[in-house]
Amino acid sequence: MKIKKGPASIIFNIISYTLLTLGSIGCVIPFIMILSGSFTDNKTILTKGYSLLPRDVTISAYQTIFKAPQDILQAYKMTFFYTGVGTAIGLMMITMTAYVISRKEFKYRNTVSFLIYFTSIFGGGTIPWYLMYSSVLGLKGSTLAIWFPALMSPFLVILMRTFIVGSVPDAITESAKIDGAGHVTIFSRIVMPVLGPGLATIGLFLALGYWNDWYRSSMFSTDSTTWELQFYLYDLLNASTAIKQMSQNIGIVTGDLPTQSVKLAMAVVSTGPVLLFYPFVQKYFVSGITVGAVKG
Amino acid sequence: MKNGKKLLSLLMAGTMAAAAVGCSGSSNEDTYAPATEEAAEDAAEDAAEDAAEEEAADETADEAEDAGEAAEAQELDTSEHVDLVFYVMGDAPEDEQVVEDAINEKLNEKLNCSIDFQFSTWTDFQQKYSLELTSGGADLIYVANWLNFGRLAKSGAFLELDDILDTYCTDLRDLIGEERLNMCSVDGSVYAIPNTWPEYVSSGITYREDLRKQFDLPVPDSIENFEAYMKGIKDNMPDQPILAATTEESQGLQVAFDAAWALNLKYPWVTINGLPYGLAANYDTPEDVTDYWFSDDFVEDMKTMKRWADYGFWSKSALSDTNDSEAYKNGLCVAIPQGQNPAKYVSGVKDFEDAGQGWETAYLAYGEVTGVIYPGHATQNATSIVRGCKNPERALAVVQYFMTDEEMNRLVQCGIEGTHYTLADGDLYEAVPDTKFAYEGFSTWNLRNGDFKLMTENDALQNEMFDKLEKIGEKTKFPNTDIYSGFTEDYEAYSAERTAVSNVMRQYLAPLQAGLVDDVDAAVEEFRTKVTEAGLEKVREGFTSQWIAYCDEYGYK
Repeated sequence: MKIKKGPASIIFNIISYTLLTLGSIGCVIPFIMILSGSFTDNKTILTKGYSLLPRDVTISAYQTIFKAPQDILQAYKMTFFYTGVGTAIGLMMITMTAYVISRKEFKYRNTVSFLIYFTSIFGGGTIPWYLMYSSVLGLKGSTLAIWFPALMSPFLVILMRTFIVGSVPDAITESAKIDGAGHVTIFSRIVMPVLGPGLATIGLFLALGYWNDWYRSSMFSTDSTTWELQFYLYDLLNASTAIKQMSQNIGIVTGDLPTQSVKLAMAVVSTGPVLLFYPFVQKYFVSGITVGAVKG
Repeated sequence: MKNGKKLLSLLMAGTMAAAAVGCSGSSNEDTYAPATEEAAEDAAEDAAEDAAEEEAADETADEAEDAGEAAEAQELDTSEHVDLVFYVMGDAPEDEQVVEDAINEKLNEKLNCSIDFQFSTWTDFQQKYSLELTSGGADLIYVANWLNFGRLAKSGAFLELDDILDTYCTDLRDLIGEERLNMCSVDGSVYAIPNTWPEYVSSGITYREDLRKQFDLPVPDSIENFEAYMKGIKDNMPDQPILAATTEESQGLQVAFDAAWALNLKYPWVTINGLPYGLAANYDTPEDVTDYWFSDDFVEDMKTMKRWADYGFWSKSALSDTNDSEAYKNGLCVAIPQGQNPAKYVSGVKDFEDAGQGWETAYLAYGEVTGVIYPGHATQNATSIVRGCKNPERALAVVQYFMTDEEMNRLVQCGIEGTHYTLADGDLYEAVPDTKFAYEGFSTWNLRNGDFKLMTENDALQNEMFDKLEKIGEKTKFPNTDIYSGFTEDYEAYSAERTAVSNVMRQYLAPLQAGLVDDVDAAVEEFRTKVTEAGLEKVREGFTSQWIAYCDEYGYK
């Protein structure tokens, strides 16, 4: 059945389409600039500035990056490792925690929930955090220090708990209990199967967090072979700025600093894979977030 | 249960309060992570103070033992193997391990210890530097005035080195010399070992010699001549941008716009751009602090800047432009008045040579005009021992080995001969193509020994420049001494006002110095009012009293 459109809804459509088009252009243009910049000759960028379509097209920036690809490939490998391990373990821990604090029969449910919630408002700060991992746990320099600290976040636990409460009615778990199921069975056979969108959402949050992180590498890595990809790229940029500033104070021989087009090519190389995450989980993503939010 | 809850909430409240208290007192405006950094420093200070007390107790015992010692060096007990960590700036070279292995082989043999270089990387390095001191993971650490050496030493982050120097490392003491060691001492104790390669990092103007000759313009050795030089090029080449001035190299408390650095041609100030907070003192009379912002000179200077802006020497959007450090290299400006030093000039010469367009660069240090020239302060590149280091004697012995042994020094600074570099004509350093250990690959500028330092191609040119500057430096009142950089300001008492003054500078002084105001007199008046409101008086009082005390202490009168 076709609903007749009144003038109001046509106007509404025109306005919303225009706004949406403008909005998406605003989102896409920077990407196009980066892409075209990465194919532009460095000299052209410096003298004529950036442009939407590449002028003086060249692939020399990519050649520079892949001339010695082992560094960037190593960083890729490590990031895949951190993302994989962190997301898998993190997802498991978050889901289990969320399940426990979603159970009404758990006596200290409110206390535990509050403790988790509390950390989302008040943190110890950078220094205790750093000292904890480097001095107390002695993790500095190990890869554990990079994926371990981000396994759980209060926000994700609360999101997951709300999600479980919302999508698994008490009656179901109760009846399972009457049938003789223990918590392990209830969790794995009844709760997990309906958590699809929730797992996808939280998995994506975790994975993106790991993929985009550079800070923990910055703090805890002592060896460049354990660097995350984002830190590898970020540090390249910082190194060139710092060295330039530094040479004001100290006589330093400035070596090969990355050129503008190489920086842009790096951005392209590093964002590529993460764009692939989205199409696969997108359909769960929207429902995952809204289900958790509305029914909370 | 109820009691438990009460206890819990009490605990939480306590934590909250602690967190809130921990957050206050952070108002460092010139860092991008102010809260964390400052807090980290504080924590470092606290930890260090605790350690200091213990240390003091130990020392008295030691002193009693050492009472009868002679000036001769004592043999260091190296029976037990130790592993040391040396924290340095920058990124690790690709062949870090290879060179470290070679170093450790020698260290093992001579001092029965090994060393591991750890690198700050250039990301968040200031914050990480403070954290490193707090956690005490390192034994040896690179220190410099731009890493707040004075402030950290004062708060006890480093070990006093006098005793170890006199007992075990007399060679090192003799190598550095008393004068430079004194520059690294705070409250009477030596806290750092400087390098023995004083550099002239004098600021100056870089300009295009080829254009100057082509249009027969004057050398920019005064405000008038600099203006004539720029004007001449502008008249002859209307499309040529003249200065790529922004606010980025002028974020401190002295100037707010890059082009204002040119004013150094006029004043023989004690340090480049004068003292902070609009104060000024001449090099010859450092204790005689005068008011620059409220002087007639200031108004006149701002009129000069306005004139330059009207000539179109820099972009109308200069205040929001980002700094393009390659502008000069790519011909997007014809002079740089900000942040130039001989080392930059030398690399500029090389850039133009590589570009092969027949461009020619020249450099004029401000001091060549004003007569105020000095080499970098000793604390510019130095090594300290972190308080809490368990084997300070051994650590310093390693520094001594690095700095006094020619072979070792070259290994640390340049890597392995043949693998990483070759020597042409006897002693000219040449990196092998695609070397995995660049010149000074460990960023150990603090271990430079002037006698062993291998010359690179660039150095010849630089040395020529240094020789010229040294001759001027000898004629100053304090021959070849940087009297400003040893000064450490403690601004805790007026940090809020200091931040406010800095904000006013960014907001009102920057457009004034960039000449982007309609009426200079009115804008000067407005700036003066605002900066006074921000608490300038308090800041100036605090600064001046500390500065004069410092000058008294070191005899700069």
